[in-house]
Amino acid sequence: MRIEILEVDKSFKKQRVLEQISLTIDSGRIFCLLGASGSGKTTLLRIMMGAIPTDGGIVTIGGIAVPNRQLLAKMGYMPQNEALYEELSAWENLKFFAGLHRQSRKTFEANAEELLQIVDMAACKNKLVRDCSGGMKKRISLAVALIHKPKLLVLDEPTVGVDPVLRRKIWLYLRQLRNEGTTILVTTHVMDEVTQCDDAALLRNGHIIARDTVKNLIDQTSDGNIEELFFIDNQSEAEVTLC
Amino acid sequence: MLSIVKRIIGQMKNDQRSLGLLLFAPLLVLTLLFFILGDSNYLPKIAVYDMNEKFVTELENHAAVSEETEKPEAVDYLEINGIDALIWSDSEGTHIELLEKNSKSAAAIEAITDTNKALQPAQNEMIMDYVYETSGDNQLDSLAYVFLGVISFFFVFILSGMSFVRERFGQTLERMLMTPISRIDVIGGYTLGYGLLAAVQSVVIILYAVYVLQLQVEGSVALCTLVMILMAFSAVSVGALVSIFANNELQLVQFIPVIIIPQIFFSGLIPIDTIPFGLGNLCYLTPIYYGCTALEMIMIQGKGFLDIWPWLAGSVIFIGVLFLANVTALKKYRRL
Repeated sequence: MRIEILEVDKSFKKQRVLEQISLTIDSGRIFCLLGASGSGKTTLLRIMMGAIPTDGGIVTIGGIAVPNRQLLAKMGYMPQNEALYEELSAWENLKFFAGLHRQSRKTFEANAEELLQIVDMAACKNKLVRDCSGGMKKRISLAVALIHKPKLLVLDEPTVGVDPVLRRKIWLYLRQLRNEGTTILVTTHVMDEVTQCDDAALLRNGHIIARDTVKNLIDQTSDGNIEELFFIDNQSEAEVTLC
Repeated sequence: MLSIVKRIIGQMKNDQRSLGLLLFAPLLVLTLLFFILGDSNYLPKIAVYDMNEKFVTELENHAAVSEETEKPEAVDYLEINGIDALIWSDSEGTHIELLEKNSKSAAAIEAITDTNKALQPAQNEMIMDYVYETSGDNQLDSLAYVFLGVISFFFVFILSGMSFVRERFGQTLERMLMTPISRIDVIGGYTLGYGLLAAVQSVVIILYAVYVLQLQVEGSVALCTLVMILMAFSAVSVGALVSIFANNELQLVQFIPVIIIPQIFFSGLIPIDTIPFGLGNLCYLTPIYYGCTALEMIMIQGKGFLDIWPWLAGSVIFIGVLFLANVTALKKYRRL
């Protein structure tokens, strides 16, 4: 699922959030959208999925313009906050979203068992979400995004609040999915997660300031420290915070 | 659509307090109303001064009478002594002094009128008959249709409105719309899911009212239930629609006075053709009007399906229009 974003603009009220964004995300890669909080990462994700309209420009996924319902069937989305039903158990949440994807009961049960193993929630699958900790909710949310085996996975800050052991496990699984042909799009502001990705783009003040393979980006920095990426265009001193 | 229905029922099953409130809170309120408006058999207290013996003796059959030997002059005589009416006569005629217009003074007047009737049977007595009569003093019987309608509408409205607001703020709505589900399925699932819960509530309320509170229903109880269920479905849709204009739970609660209270005015509490400036016509915009009018016709006038179908049709059309409005409003969250 190759994603092409062409000259996309977006403003909320008077504030320009995205300005002339053009970006290509190749199929079968883990792509990382990097940016400080408030830089427009989530807005760009939502535009790509067709949740909100653009002010100008187009987005196509696999050659089909968004929004498109057939595309949504192939996409898995994990929003920044958990977006789960508090009164339902982990299992029931999964079942509900599987139902929206018209998954058969048998497929669902097999998928759900497997996913709950991966996110380490199999033991408490019948626990109500409202009784779960923040990290547990995050893991259930990830499982929900994966329940229909999407071809394109969109994860908005997926590993915030997840402990390092589990984080490693999740990345291992994401890479396995990538090897099976899934395109994965991740946003983050945690720098060390970038090294887990294949490609990355840096978003600042509504502009893409860099886009390359992660390896090349790191090579550009003086000391191999990924945080240096944020100072790559020497603009940050002059940066004005827009509120 | 079925997934949403199942999910809503699952959510309710796991949240037993909400379910309990949905089912039993209306019963509690109805029971309270039953005692407040029910048959009180109040015996009015009447004081007399300088009235003839025959009158006093007869009055004693209708009220608790106390005789004053001196004419009480104090303004607050009635209030202090807890007496509902004072009767005395002078050259002008017979005076009756009452405290204020309320059900107690009405009972006192009724007692006095009955006494007069007994003493001097009129040559040409006026005999009043209501075409649709409910049993004697029980005000609940004649107003029950208003309360049944309003109470069930109110609880369901809050339930569906709140859950929609929460769904938007927890971003589960966005997540749901990021699947291939159609907007019609979302609203349909919602209406059906909460509608089913509301239907259960309606059945519980009506059965309780009829078989426990012994509410008088002239027509068919099944037809009443049908009307209540239709009303509940419209409450779900109104709740969902209003939630779009509410940015948080508080604002939804603030919508209650705007959405619910005006509807109570059109529920039959006030005869609609007495409302000035044609404002009565607003009743056609309120789902409670269709439901309560139909309930009134069944419960008090004993009418059947053939008489009430226009109101049922009104309800159904209302639900249909709201359904389309909600489906369109969802475009705000996904353009497809």
